[in-house]
Order: sequence, then structure tokens, then C-alpha cells
Amino acid sequence: MDIILILSLILNGLALGMVYAAVAVGFSLVLGVSGVINFCHGVMYAFGAYFFWLLKDSIGFWPSVLVTPILVAAIGLVIERVLVRRVYGLDPLFGLLITLGFSIALEELIRMIFGPAAHNVNAPSFANGVIIWGDFIYSQYRIFIALFGAVMVGGTWLLIDKTNFGAIVKAGMFDSEMVGALGHNLPKLRAVIFVLGAALAGLSGILAAPIWSVKSGMGTAILMPSFLIVLMGGLGSIPGTIIGALIVGLSTSLATLVIPRFVDIIPYLLLGIIIYIWPRGLFGEQNITD
Amino acid sequence: MKKLKIGFFIVMAACVVVGGLGTSASAVEPIRIGLVSPVSGNYADHGMLERIGMEMALEEYGGEILGRPVTLITADSETNPDAAARRARRLIEVDGVKFMMGGVSSSVATAVGAVAEEKGALYFATNGNSDTVTGEHARHHVFRAGRSMAMLVRGGAKYVADNLGKKWFFITHDYSWGHSGTRWARNMLDVVGAKEVGEIKVPLGTRDFSSQLLQVRNSGADVLVITCAGFDNVALMKQLAEYRIYDKMNVWYTLMEYVDMWPLDPKERQPYCSVEVSWDETPEMIAFSEKVHKKYPAAASPVIDNGSYNGWLAMKLLLEGIKKAGTDDVEKVICAMEGLELKDTKRKNPAKIRAFDHQVMSDVVLVKANPKATDTRIWNVMDVIPAESVARTKAENPVDVSCK
Repeated sequence: MDIILILSLILNGLALGMVYAAVAVGFSLVLGVSGVINFCHGVMYAFGAYFFWLLKDSIGFWPSVLVTPILVAAIGLVIERVLVRRVYGLDPLFGLLITLGFSIALEELIRMIFGPAAHNVNAPSFANGVIIWGDFIYSQYRIFIALFGAVMVGGTWLLIDKTNFGAIVKAGMFDSEMVGALGHNLPKLRAVIFVLGAALAGLSGILAAPIWSVKSGMGTAILMPSFLIVLMGGLGSIPGTIIGALIVGLSTSLATLVIPRFVDIIPYLLLGIIIYIWPRGLFGEQNITD
Repeated sequence: MKKLKIGFFIVMAACVVVGGLGTSASAVEPIRIGLVSPVSGNYADHGMLERIGMEMALEEYGGEILGRPVTLITADSETNPDAAARRARRLIEVDGVKFMMGGVSSSVATAVGAVAEEKGALYFATNGNSDTVTGEHARHHVFRAGRSMAMLVRGGAKYVADNLGKKWFFITHDYSWGHSGTRWARNMLDVVGAKEVGEIKVPLGTRDFSSQLLQVRNSGADVLVITCAGFDNVALMKQLAEYRIYDKMNVWYTLMEYVDMWPLDPKERQPYCSVEVSWDETPEMIAFSEKVHKKYPAAASPVIDNGSYNGWLAMKLLLEGIKKAGTDDVEKVICAMEGLELKDTKRKNPAKIRAFDHQVMSDVVLVKANPKATDTRIWNVMDVIPAESVARTKAENPVDVSCK
């Protein structure tokens, strides 16, 4: 078997895994820290792609990368204030249902505003080429987004696991009354987390737009892979999300060599095996869903 | 008191007259046509376009036929055969529909066709292109407006082998339509002197093709033959350019939808494609396209495309069939539609319904994408191929669903 091809597929799987990790990290963050299964995550990702598509030609690539997550975060804030805050501490099913219903409405809103047609977004000029080395070829843009995704995921992990802010919010998940009694404004901290999750979703929408294009329904399409990765890695575990995403990326990439027509079943199969062995996922700890 | 009585009788009389008028007005039962068409899912855009075409055709008849208003009832097929069959059943049993049309996916067309046959309704599949719809799944109650994959592949295969290359690699959308496209391209290998060097089947809903394209690049093929559509295809075409596939080989789509290619950056539009219709193939088609765009400026496609044209064509043929039969009796309409010819097709040749398999015979077009176009001329027409020269003959498709 062609070794160059296998190496290309492994690299592709790793890069793809980092893209998935970037998409799933916001989902994992909100679930792990606030205990809300946020099905609005997909539509936030779609808003990110759409806002970027609207802005990039008028204000340029990097300013759009900066402004878009802020706009998506603003939408996230409204959703958190109006809907999600009502379900903190309740059975996670409430959060799932309320965000799922609202995300369907928002998808329709996107369709009404931006139309049903797909829209084109080009990769930025600095990463618009390919690396060719003999038979080996790889897209510069995919390497760029893999690195960018790694920074996003790493930054989020540092924030949650290595700062006082993260410790307080996580503590609030287990005993909100005690955290409140210690003088911390937990509702505010949870809002910050939700808004941060929305911003990360928006940012991942930007990254994905040049390779998968922009279209209504794109949010729904990404939701299930994100959920699957989070379940695989363990609810709320950022390292778990990275490992889960890399497993999905690598397995789907390599499976195209052997069983290409069943490639989309592979992640579900792996999830089944992982959950069977580790019911809380690879890095799962006791959390609000227990 | 007397005046009051007279007044009462006048009012009563008026009520009787008005009531009578009301009765006679409601006696004109509308002809209900169910549109089993995707409103959501991978083919939602295509669904909207075919419904636009149907509405344009109905408008040409003033919204009525045989002096009866025509009511269109849309049911979301979700591009899912089970959901579509359920909706079709409901349209017939609850809404009293005798005629149905729509169905972008071939598997949906097959499922709805089975319901139509069982319930005695007429179903006009508009945009499913798999051979099976008018082949092994041909039914007495089913007609098909879209070109079959046999017609589309035969229309392009010879040109591709003679001019683009003879080593073919297939990318196949993994459902009945995709299989149909690759099967026909495979059937043509010996005929045109080409050979197969590989195939990858991609599941419906695939957005990332990077791994598949890495294999394609290493396959040694000189033509990549693709049967893939919808949002998946928009992503695939972007990634064909991203992975510089065009530097290594030519690409031929056995069927391309305008709406899939339109959103791309011009430099990403490079393949050769078989299409069912091109909006600029005749002056009449250009004028029609402009009219449609003026009426539906927000549609996914800025010009007439396969979906909207086939929707228009199917509705016109059905209404002509009902007119010819002089009744909405399903069996009589079916028999009237067999052999029906439509001259006003906006194309070079008329369209005709074949009796034995209920396939509409309409031209096939071969186009080459234009990577320099910045307007709606995203491809150039290379050839318009008459349907008779590429459709399966009765010997090749030995079915007979005609009125005996």
C-alpha cells in the first residue's frame, strides 16, 4: 500500500480532528461547566460562518475573525438571558429541549435572512495554496485551521483548568448554593461561560466556511458530530474533547481507504465501544448528569 | 307587522338565492395536486426550485384546468423515502389528492411511486434521475420528467473518452441515483474504450472529502467521474479545487445542478458536466429564465435550472394530460398522457412521453464550466443531444406499463 497515501491520510485525520475539536470545544465547555446540553451550538457555528461571509470583503480577514465571534457572543448572551438561565440546575433534558427548539427557529431565521442558497468563502490569501512534496499534497489552509483550532482548544483548557475563574464556575456546577454563599455571582459567571461557548462556536464557523462552504442547515449538520465527540471524550472534559475529535478525524480519514461507504458509521461504532468500556467517556468525571 | 313579514320573506328569499349560488360555486371542486417535495434536508433548495417551476406552469393556465381551480398542496419529503411515502399516503387519504408530483431524490420517487400505484393516484416524478424510476420500478401510475442517468451518461461518455481521457475513477453518492450514474458510466467503459481505475462511494451528508480526494490524486486516473449532488456537492467542488485535482485530471459530472455550482468562486468552477437543461440554450429559454428570476428573485438559482425546468415541464404535461382526457379520472389521464407531445418546451426539440415506460423524452446538454465567468454564464454549452439518441430503447428497458 502506498506509504505516502497513508501518511497523507494520517495527517489529514489529525488536521480534521483539530477542526472537529475546535467546533466541539464550545459545546463541551458549556456542558461541562454549566451542565446544559446546548443544542444552539450548531446554529451559533452557522451564525459565525454567515457573519464572516458578510464581513470579510468589507473589513478584511483578520478584523472579521475578531468581530464575528463578538457578534455571535452577543446572540449567545441574549439566548442565555432569555432561555438558558431558566434551566441551570434542572434535569439536562430541559436544556436540551429548550435549546433544540430555539435552534430550529434560528435556523429558519437564517434561511429567511440569508436565503436558501449556499455562499462561497475563500481561504485567506496567506493560506490559499497547497504543500506539494512528490506525491504528497496538503492544503495550507487545513494546516492553518488545525493550528488555530489547537490554540482555541488550548486556551479554553487553560481558562477552565488553570484559573480561579474556571475553578469557581466548575464548583458552582456541584454546589451552587455554597458558591453563592462564598460571595461569587454564579449566574454572571455562567453567562460568561455560555457567551464564551457561543464565541468559540462562531470562531469555528469561520474556520470551517472556506472548506465546507456556508449554507443554511450547516449548523444542524455539525451538531451531531460535536455531541458525539463530547460524549466520546467525557462530558465537559477539554482534553477528552481533543482526544475524541482526533479519534473521529483519524478513523474517518483512514476508513476511506478500506470501507469508504461506511465512513460515517465509524465514529458511532467507536462511541459505542468507548461508552461500553468507559461509561463516562474517555476522560469523564462525575458531573451534573450523574 | 305586515311590512315586517314581507321584509322577513325578502331576507329569506335572498338567503336561499345566495345559498344556492354558494352551493353551485362550491360544486366546482378544485383539482388538488400534491407536491411531495423536499422543504428540508440536503435537497431543500432543489425542492424549492421545482415548486417554482410548477407554479410558473400553473400560472400559464390561469391557475385552472377544465374550468376548475387547481390547488397545490405541498408536503415535505425530507429527502427521506419513508417520510415521503407517509406524506404521500396522507395527501391521498386525507387531502383527497388524485395527482402528485415532485421528489428530487430517486429513492423518494420510488417510494412515492409505490404509494401512488397502491392507491390509484398519478405520480409525476420531477427530478429523480435514477434509471430505476422508469426501469425496474416503472409503474403504470408513475411518470418521470427528469432525464434518466442512461440519457445523461450516454450523452457525455463518448466526448469524455475521446477528449478527456480513458482511465476513469468514480466518486459515487451512495444511494440509488448515485449508483445509477456510476453503473451507466461503467456500462459505457467498453463502448467508448475506457477503463476503470477505482471507485469511492460517499454517504449522503458527507461534507469533507479530503481523504477521498487524496486517494483520487494517487489513483493514476485521467478522468474523475462524479455522481454527487446537493450541499455535499458544493463542498466537494470546493475541495476539488483545494486539492488541485484539476491539475492532475479532468473532472466529469454525470449530472450537475446549476444551483450547486453557482455559489462557488469562479476558479473553483472547472468540470465538464452533463446537465438536463441550460438556461441559455435558446432565446426562448433565456426569456423564460429572466421571467422566472423576476418573479422569484430570492430563489436559490438566478436562472432556470434542472429542478425548476423539470417542475415546469411536469406540471405542463400533467395539465395537458388532464385537458386531453377531459376529466380528472386518473386512469383516463394516464392513458391521455401516453404519447403526449409538448411543443412549447423553450428548447430545440419538443418533449414527448413514451408510453411503455412513461419516461419524458427531452434533450440532454453537455457543458464545460467557465472559470472566468463572473456573471450567470458559469458554463458554456458544448452540445445539445436529442433524447431519442441516448435514451434506453424498449429492448434495453423491457418494461411495459402502458394502458393496454
